[in-house]
Amino acid sequence: MHRFFLLVVATLAGALHAADLPQPVPVPSAQEMYRSVVRIEVATQTPNYATPWNAGRFSGGIGTGFLIGPNQFLTNAHVVSNGQRFLITIYGSPEKHPAKVEYIAHDCDLALLSVEDFSPFEKLPIFSIGQAVPALESQVRVIGYPIGGERLSVTRGVVSRIDFQPYSHSRADSHLVVQIDAAINPGNSGGPVLQNDSVIGVAFQGLTEADNTGYIIPTPVIQRFLKDIRDGRYDHYVDLGIAEFPLINPAMRAALSLPNKNIGVLVTNVTPTGSCDGVVKEGDVLIAIDDHPIDAAGAILIEGEKVNMHEVVERKFAGDPVKLGLIREGKEREVTATLKTLPPAKMYAIRYEEKPRYVVCAGLLFQPLDTNLFATASFRDVNVRRLYSDYVSKGLFQEFEDVVILTDILADELNSTLPSLKGKIVKTINGTKVTSLAQAHDLLFPEKSPEYLVIELLGVERPLVLPYAEIPAANERVSKNYQIKRLSNLKAQ
Amino acid sequence: MKKCFLLFALSLIGCQPKAVTPATPTSEVKEISESMVRVNSTLQSWNIAQPWEKNPARQRRSLAAIVEQNQVITTAEMVADATLIEVESTDGAKRARATVACVDYEANLALLKIDDAKESADFFLGKTPLAMANNPALGDTVDVIQVEENGHSLFTSGQIRSADVRSTFLPGQSFLTFRVKASMQSSASSYSLPVLHAGKLAGILSSYDSKDQISDVIATPLISRFLMESQKPQYQGFPNLGVNIQSTDDPHFRKYLHLSEEVGGIFVSKVRKGSAADEAKVLPRDVILAIDDFPIDRRGYYQDPLYGRLPWMQLVRGNRSAGEVISLTVWREGKELSLPVTLSRQEEDSRLVPNYQFGKAPRFLIKGGMIFQEITRPLLEAFGDEWESRAPLSYLHVLSEPELYEKDHDRMICLSGVIPTQATVGYEGLRHMIVSKVNGKSVRNMRELIQALKQAPLGQRSHRIEFMDESIAIYLDDAVSDQIDAQLLQRGLQQLHRAD
Repeated sequence: MHRFFLLVVATLAGALHAADLPQPVPVPSAQEMYRSVVRIEVATQTPNYATPWNAGRFSGGIGTGFLIGPNQFLTNAHVVSNGQRFLITIYGSPEKHPAKVEYIAHDCDLALLSVEDFSPFEKLPIFSIGQAVPALESQVRVIGYPIGGERLSVTRGVVSRIDFQPYSHSRADSHLVVQIDAAINPGNSGGPVLQNDSVIGVAFQGLTEADNTGYIIPTPVIQRFLKDIRDGRYDHYVDLGIAEFPLINPAMRAALSLPNKNIGVLVTNVTPTGSCDGVVKEGDVLIAIDDHPIDAAGAILIEGEKVNMHEVVERKFAGDPVKLGLIREGKEREVTATLKTLPPAKMYAIRYEEKPRYVVCAGLLFQPLDTNLFATASFRDVNVRRLYSDYVSKGLFQEFEDVVILTDILADELNSTLPSLKGKIVKTINGTKVTSLAQAHDLLFPEKSPEYLVIELLGVERPLVLPYAEIPAANERVSKNYQIKRLSNLKAQ
Repeated sequence: MKKCFLLFALSLIGCQPKAVTPATPTSEVKEISESMVRVNSTLQSWNIAQPWEKNPARQRRSLAAIVEQNQVITTAEMVADATLIEVESTDGAKRARATVACVDYEANLALLKIDDAKESADFFLGKTPLAMANNPALGDTVDVIQVEENGHSLFTSGQIRSADVRSTFLPGQSFLTFRVKASMQSSASSYSLPVLHAGKLAGILSSYDSKDQISDVIATPLISRFLMESQKPQYQGFPNLGVNIQSTDDPHFRKYLHLSEEVGGIFVSKVRKGSAADEAKVLPRDVILAIDDFPIDRRGYYQDPLYGRLPWMQLVRGNRSAGEVISLTVWREGKELSLPVTLSRQEEDSRLVPNYQFGKAPRFLIKGGMIFQEITRPLLEAFGDEWESRAPLSYLHVLSEPELYEKDHDRMICLSGVIPTQATVGYEGLRHMIVSKVNGKSVRNMRELIQALKQAPLGQRSHRIEFMDESIAIYLDDAVSDQIDAQLLQRGLQQLHRAD
């Protein structure tokens, strides 16, 4: 965990500081620099959440990476996600060097790789990563191996927008993004984006519905990642854990007795157990964050640029304090929240490098709700969809470690007469409320089993009943017929 | 099934041997058109998205039978949201404006009359009302009547293949329906057609599938009962038991319930509060073994003396009037009980989320540009064909678990959208939120909302509006919204609220 503040606060439109940074070797030529842009070949294995007991799909892909330090290759997390084998190739060389992932940050789509033997790379120049965000309209170069080619590709583009935007890899995170007008294609991912031979970003995503639009991860996000892993592990972004409503309406401002115009946002939700739980209350009006006044739309001014107030937290780490100015019951006060990660928020992020958890009992498939499952199963049930959307904001994770769902009934002679009830939440098993998959497993397979297994599903008005005496035989048949070697997996790693 | 009366080629190849013989009308040809009228209706529903205005008008045309007391029987579909109904003699010589004497949207039946006594006498002069047929049996032949533009009547004979309890109009509202196999040709377009048996009225054809040559016909017993009910001073409609049931054909479930192999039975999974079953103390987890003397099988069917195996609902809904007493044999905790149930009917309007709202303009309120509406099924259906997955989750939850909300609400009020105005600056993105409180008080229905928003609470300039599921209160300046409302009226809005 880190307690440092960034020494140099990145500017959004300021001058470049590339010249100030130490260079490991005398400034090499562009051609020489390109040698440090490597091709990364990844073989992946992606589990299928519809058949979680299977090995999944074997596939692979090509991405780009670049050398940023001794045996440190920076690339995108999505290039190496679910990877089983990694090979790095130097431009112009046929040799494939086995590599491994040292750190992976799915929430900001960055990863750091190392090779088993660094000696062939030792003479290569090392890219320096700047501190600055490129100015609007300035020109940048994107270098990489798009569309799987063996040869390097260089494209030029102009910075067209700097904004807070979703990172599609995790589906749940938004950070600063720089948009350029050069296309970023598959394979470009993880490649450096240069300005004056200094790295100002990592190419990472494009738009399917627009041509010539590429997105790059800017230096503040890269620097934060590199700083986070200095202690030997990647933690996660921290979050205030609040939702705000802009205070633009005059009647609303008057009713809340807010004096000065255009200052403050209303806190409408405080995530239980989150950074602000117990510090900020619903109904508070937030007026400042780390002494930056918050305007009525939730923006603050940093170095002359309007940015989202959460940008302050974006650059901090777990354990860092954040000072909040607020108005509560008409009185101004200042509070300090200690930032922390919110593990239950993983509910909304796609999981990688995990083995899906499941339990199969008498052909009934139980799985914990998460975004991988949600994306696979397309749930229609209102209860499932409501629990999914309220899981974090309403603090339901405090009650349910997992939301266990009956996702499928694998046909067997024992269960063939059960009504078809897929995609429903398991409320109770043998009368006990289900709060996690592991507990559901214990309830399904008790030491001393009663006459009947009785499962109640949320929103279903009849219990599912199976005689315990016949379950072991059914499990054997299901295991054989569906080739399920292990009838349960309770651990993701 | 699509309403389909388009022209189609009549082919004899592949017809049933019996049908090959030219159809010989079982009714008298020459008089029949004297017992028929055409019904022309203009229907105009309300625009759910902008509840102060109506959708474009549509026309529907049908052939209908004249019954006793100078009335005309047709389907409820013909009069749902009608703004004008006209009856016309089959030769086009006479025309009159008709009104609805009685309508049952659930059973899809409507009786029309001509209000003015003299006009009515003139119109029906020389017409012969049709008597109700005795209930035909399965396999009996019936005649579908069509009348061509020139006044010529066409008879198409067909056989009642089966009877079932199904919906001909509203989803989930199922009544006795005959399936008649007849290869009809299309003449004058018509939304529904009378069906005769031995020269008497035996049903109303509500849809025809030209590919399979199968028609759905609203069955004789249902029409007879509807006519009987319509004679009562106050039409009550068809009663409900008020239970949700599940089949018991799963053997493990049967053993768990200790049901013997000799009996059938349906599992009561839910008893609606205040329903006939609730009043009779039917409990969830009871198993209904018999209704009156009819044993109910594991899938909920009983053996009807006339129509074979029919779903149990027919013993409650189609064949009974509200107030009648039926006897339920239920299995509870290993014992058989007999429970007398006085049938009753719960008015659709008494539901938290009504399934249909025909003839009723949607209630709404516009205040300063904020649009408030009641959550009804038509409102949900306005989210498109995929409304069950596209409508807001909070609305769908109200629909699926009304019990959780019924105590404090007659209807759920939602903020359905915001017209950008001076008063709604900063609120433009708000929509699909259920209102929980206004000025600190909860609101039961639209009338209470209108009352609550009439003027700001004493000493306050603004209204405070709170929402369910969102801990946010928004404020609406009373004086500013009144100005806005006046402007909206000037800009062509017909009215700012409707509560009746």
